[in-house]
Amino acid sequence: MKGMSPYGLFFDQTLAVSQRLLLEQWRQRRGLIFWVVFPAAMMLLFGLVYANNANMRAGLDAAAAGILIGAALFFSCLGGTVSIIAAERERRTLRRLLASPLHPAAYFFGVVLAQLVLASLQVIMLYSIAWFIGARYHGSLFLGGLILLLSVFAYVGMGFFLGARFARRSEEVVVALSAIGVPLLVLGGTFFPLEIMPAAMQAVAQLTPMLHMNQAFKGVAAYNLGFAELRFELVFLFVFCAFSLALGLRSYRHLPIADQKV
Amino acid sequence: MTVALQIDGLFKRFGEQQVLTGFSLQVARGEVVGLLGPNGCGKSTVLNIICQLLQADAGQVQLMGQPMMEQSAYARTLIGYCAQETALYPDLFPQENMHFFARLYGVPAAQRNARVAELMERFNLTPYASTRAGLLSGGWQQRLSLAVALVHRPELLVLDEPTVAVDVEARMDLWSLMESLRDSGATILLTTHHLSEAQRLCNRVALMRGGKVAAEGSVPDLISRVPGQAVVKVQSDDPQAVIQKASDLGWPVRQHAGKLSLLLPQSMSLREVVDALDGSKVRAVSVDPVTLEDAYFELVDLKHELC
Repeated sequence: MKGMSPYGLFFDQTLAVSQRLLLEQWRQRRGLIFWVVFPAAMMLLFGLVYANNANMRAGLDAAAAGILIGAALFFSCLGGTVSIIAAERERRTLRRLLASPLHPAAYFFGVVLAQLVLASLQVIMLYSIAWFIGARYHGSLFLGGLILLLSVFAYVGMGFFLGARFARRSEEVVVALSAIGVPLLVLGGTFFPLEIMPAAMQAVAQLTPMLHMNQAFKGVAAYNLGFAELRFELVFLFVFCAFSLALGLRSYRHLPIADQKV
Repeated sequence: MTVALQIDGLFKRFGEQQVLTGFSLQVARGEVVGLLGPNGCGKSTVLNIICQLLQADAGQVQLMGQPMMEQSAYARTLIGYCAQETALYPDLFPQENMHFFARLYGVPAAQRNARVAELMERFNLTPYASTRAGLLSGGWQQRLSLAVALVHRPELLVLDEPTVAVDVEARMDLWSLMESLRDSGATILLTTHHLSEAQRLCNRVALMRGGKVAAEGSVPDLISRVPGQAVVKVQSDDPQAVIQKASDLGWPVRQHAGKLSLLLPQSMSLREVVDALDGSKVRAVSVDPVTLEDAYFELVDLKHELC
């Protein structure tokens, strides 16, 4: 098909994937309700506990940041991406995509873009609730946005990997998430601070992207830290995102056609 | 004759199983070629290699005279692929499914609406424009799936058992659609288990056995390779007596799935056949012209017993 430059085609493919995913999300109202209710409930419940205890109140700002990265984005971006891959497989649309000239990176960026839109809406919703409870965002919006972008990117890459390797059917999404995703979440410091973990666990935690997302976003949102203070986390996230992109593209290219018929 | 697709010596192994063993085939532009064979003979594997869903261990595929390089996006734009399962987005409307794939294939925005509207009209999907694809019946989903495969005006349409999962009525509808595609000059390679589908749609048929083409030709050509002018189907209380009688008469006997068929060397009336088989406890007998099904069993199926 002539008439489009390769860059134009790539851009249009990315937009097409992202628009399709958002349209599907909009039409699957039940999923959308979960997507709204789960982080909102988490924020309300955690927020009320923090706000109700004088000795914990100081940690409310960090808790809000942790819930955004560790709960909301984890489930919507990582879980969402695993679900997308499983659904493409189950509906057999994956074969159609793989047979089309869709560039693997356009598919990856399309998913990232759709997840970014959803994540942005979650940020607004979550911080609105947090604000009513008393939490505040203290740092640079640009830096916070950058960390969220890197986090979404990293989650999508991991989602591609988990989806390709462990979720052939939609029922296996929960298995993949709970068996691999949730331990990473715990190591990432979402439920316990890094300091109270055993030394060996802390060492392993340093290798997980969740820890650096959490620390970086908490640093900006709760403690107004800047680029200089967060350089290690940022470098880690940038490197992980590059790794994530490579992992995502490789997972897409080599998606095993498990139900291959002779 | 312009060659649209040239396949030479494809080999493919899955673990211990050698699925393709030197598969070769040529499809001319504007030709409809059917790939027939028993389950597991490698039909879908061939299509998957053409669509770059699989990589061959050896062999070459040329599309429009150009070798199809692995991951070649250009080669993908030349092919329209429709699998036996309706690969659609169930929450999107029919025209949205088409629009989505049109964008992936780089159909320019200025042409997209017109092309989608044309296919909606041609495939009678317009009344379902506000029905989500997932709510359409199997036949209409497959119709939409076919339309999606055509949205970018492919040079070669690859159909993997396109009517396998639909009811008889929907199958007839799809056959009519495919006939109109054939008549409009589309180049199609299709696999099917419905021999009547191949007989009705295909200019040429390739019969596969053991991972390669065992016989190929037009339907009349394949039928002419059956050593008989007509087929006698016999039900008898004493099959051995029928076999003996046929053998005495010099009629080749075929047995498939417990049913006896006798190949008549020359045309005979039913009365003449009944008289000839007299004394062999025949309960029912019919005389039919040789069909593609007979050619298939003759040229491909190894299970029949030559008596």
